[in-house]
Amino acid sequence: METDSPPPETTSSDNLRSLEPSMRTVWAIKRGVFVAFVSFAVFFYDLAHLFGTSALPFGTLTGIVVVLGTAYALFWPRLLYRSWGFSIRSEEIYIEHGVLNHVRTVVPLRRIQHLDVSQDLLEREFSLGRLVVHTAGSRSSDVVIPGLNLKEAERIRDRVKQFILEDPLMEDPV
Amino acid sequence: MSSPPSNGPNPSSSDAADPPDHLSSDTERDPQTSSRDAIDDRPDESASASIEEANDAGDADDSDGREPATLGALQEPQRLHPLTLLQRFLASLPALVLLLLPVLMNPSSENVFYLFMTAAFGLIALPSILLQYYRFSYRLTEKQIIIQSGVFNRQHRSIPIERVQNVQIEQNLLARIADIAKVKIETAGSSGTEGVLEYVSLKEAHRIRHAIRSFQRETVGETAPMVTPDIDTEDGAGEVAAEEISDEAEILFQMPLQRVLLSGMFRFSLIYIAVVFSVFQFFEPDTLLNYVLASRSQFQAIVDAVYASPFFAAVMTVMFAALFGWLTGIAINLNRYYGFHLWLEGDKLRKRHGLFTVTEGTIPLKKVQALILHTNPLMEAFGWFALEAQTIGLNVDEQGHRVIVPFAQLDQVRQIGKRVRDFDLQEPFERVSPLTIRRSFVRYLVGLSVIVVPAAYFWPPDWLAPMGVALPYWAYALTPLLLLWAYLQYTHHGYAVDDEALYVRRGVIGRYIWILPTEKHHVFYTRASVFQRRLGLKSFFVDTAGAASFAYPEVIDVPENTADKALDQLDDQFHTLYENRIRAATGSADTRLSADERPQLPDDAHSTWADE
Repeated sequence: METDSPPPETTSSDNLRSLEPSMRTVWAIKRGVFVAFVSFAVFFYDLAHLFGTSALPFGTLTGIVVVLGTAYALFWPRLLYRSWGFSIRSEEIYIEHGVLNHVRTVVPLRRIQHLDVSQDLLEREFSLGRLVVHTAGSRSSDVVIPGLNLKEAERIRDRVKQFILEDPLMEDPV
Repeated sequence: MSSPPSNGPNPSSSDAADPPDHLSSDTERDPQTSSRDAIDDRPDESASASIEEANDAGDADDSDGREPATLGALQEPQRLHPLTLLQRFLASLPALVLLLLPVLMNPSSENVFYLFMTAAFGLIALPSILLQYYRFSYRLTEKQIIIQSGVFNRQHRSIPIERVQNVQIEQNLLARIADIAKVKIETAGSSGTEGVLEYVSLKEAHRIRHAIRSFQRETVGETAPMVTPDIDTEDGAGEVAAEEISDEAEILFQMPLQRVLLSGMFRFSLIYIAVVFSVFQFFEPDTLLNYVLASRSQFQAIVDAVYASPFFAAVMTVMFAALFGWLTGIAINLNRYYGFHLWLEGDKLRKRHGLFTVTEGTIPLKKVQALILHTNPLMEAFGWFALEAQTIGLNVDEQGHRVIVPFAQLDQVRQIGKRVRDFDLQEPFERVSPLTIRRSFVRYLVGLSVIVVPAAYFWPPDWLAPMGVALPYWAYALTPLLLLWAYLQYTHHGYAVDDEALYVRRGVIGRYIWILPTEKHHVFYTRASVFQRRLGLKSFFVDTAGAASFAYPEVIDVPENTADKALDQLDDQFHTLYENRIRAATGSADTRLSADERPQLPDDAHSTWADE
């Protein structure tokens, strides 16, 4: 706990919190379902061309898709998970993520319009929540931190809400 | 933030099933009324009842006596001006003519169908105009504008007055003759216009706008300067003159006719092509073809000339197209900016312009999110610029909408811009990394190859292949142009950071300079793709409210350190600015951030909440 200190560095990737580890599983399941659908489609394509004059032997295409898809479903979430980091600082929320595209986002707490905590079916099973931060900015009016412990997400939400409500500057929200 | 986050939902999403929210927000009403309102999609009685109830609520509000004199009858549910009916009827005439067109052109018994359709149209469309008119009502309270409309889908829309960004009054030629006007009420909630009153009398339009503005001033409090006291004391029923420009209003900019024409000469528009085609589609192709064939002898000379010299013909075509485009540009500009006036009225900008359609709008200075200097190579060569104000709630696609200075020399634009928001253009701008040329060039080349290679692969060998090379490959002749384009993009891309703002310049043909004031920054971003990281580059971007989605001020390909430093500086400036403001407002530093309070929002470097 320090007094009015120099503003936090926005670029240091140290001291970042990572998401809940179970988020990897959630991502893997979601991707797995997607890959399964695609594999089935490709499999039926293969089946339909079983007696045609195909250049590839039966099942090759399906095999390729299944192998690549499995790799995608199993390993990509790990990379994604490793790329995710965030930190709630005294004046701002800092987020970095992205495997191919590294995106770093700084949302000043003063700029937050409102916050949601949301869950989808799968996330509910793992009691994960995602924090959705709405700003008035136009290109990306909501910034999302997925894979938080639900309780924790709610706690962050309440604290940031408190910060907003205590704003001494009664001015236009935008 | 004056309003709690719960105020956020945009009013546009209301439909018949929604319980009207005016009851809950106007006054604290018992739940019975709102449950009664939930079945409000039934016919008249309940609807009118709800209007009256809301009205009571509005009256209750008045009792504290803060109501300005101009409000008057606006609190009663109002209908639109009766001439609206006539206008809508006239507007439906072209459709009628279209339906009748086949009959008119070729009267025969086969065309009874169209007559029938026309009759059906008349029986349905005309009554629906009437019904819509009778179902439409609007009224103002101190806190909101309430618009009820809809024949089958009843809509109840309430727009919080404090959220109103811009009140625009528009008069087309017809409306001007009839002395009526369209009022557009725009808010931050959505990208479009939220409330449209089409049409009310011009006097009423001014009264509505005036009432909205004075309510806003009241909610803002005493801090806003009362610049137009004469209007405030004016009685609504009296002379809210069509002019309504107070003496205090300072004229910032106006364009005499010559200037408007001159500005048109720098604008080029090919819209006439679209117009020509849209007219053609109403004609039977066969008839058209027959006509052309029949009159072939008249065109024979032209056809011969084209055969004699295709090159000459092509040049002439292009020149004619250009000439037409140029003339269209002048005409469009003349129509749009004729009689352009921009005033500064205390804390808001007001502009009025237009030849056939006169538009009048006000933009509060506070609501200006960014300034944009806009030019093109030709205009820039002669030193001409346009100034636009980025606000939220305005339709981004609607051209000329946000323009506050359509055409002026840089110095003048600067002077006017400074009245809106102080800025200091720092020339020359910082360049981005020259590596960006290479990156863009490679990207264009890959893009070109994606088109060319498959096309060449499937190109039949006996098709066009100049000098034995399949035609698609000839597209690679454009390569030097791509390189040139990448280079030009680099030279026209730049940025600057000072104490007040971030400046970003982009664009080769449409050239933009964004002035993004620190206090309007919202979210700070950096982005680095795999390729950028390999070259040690980064892009950065500061999000502002109301930024367009297609051309936005991202600074692309800056050395990583530089980008981080620039963004850090902007971020710091932002926090310092607001800390100073809080200090000024409360006399102390932001208590939310003080050492005692900090455990509320721990810095992750020192504690994690998971540990608690």
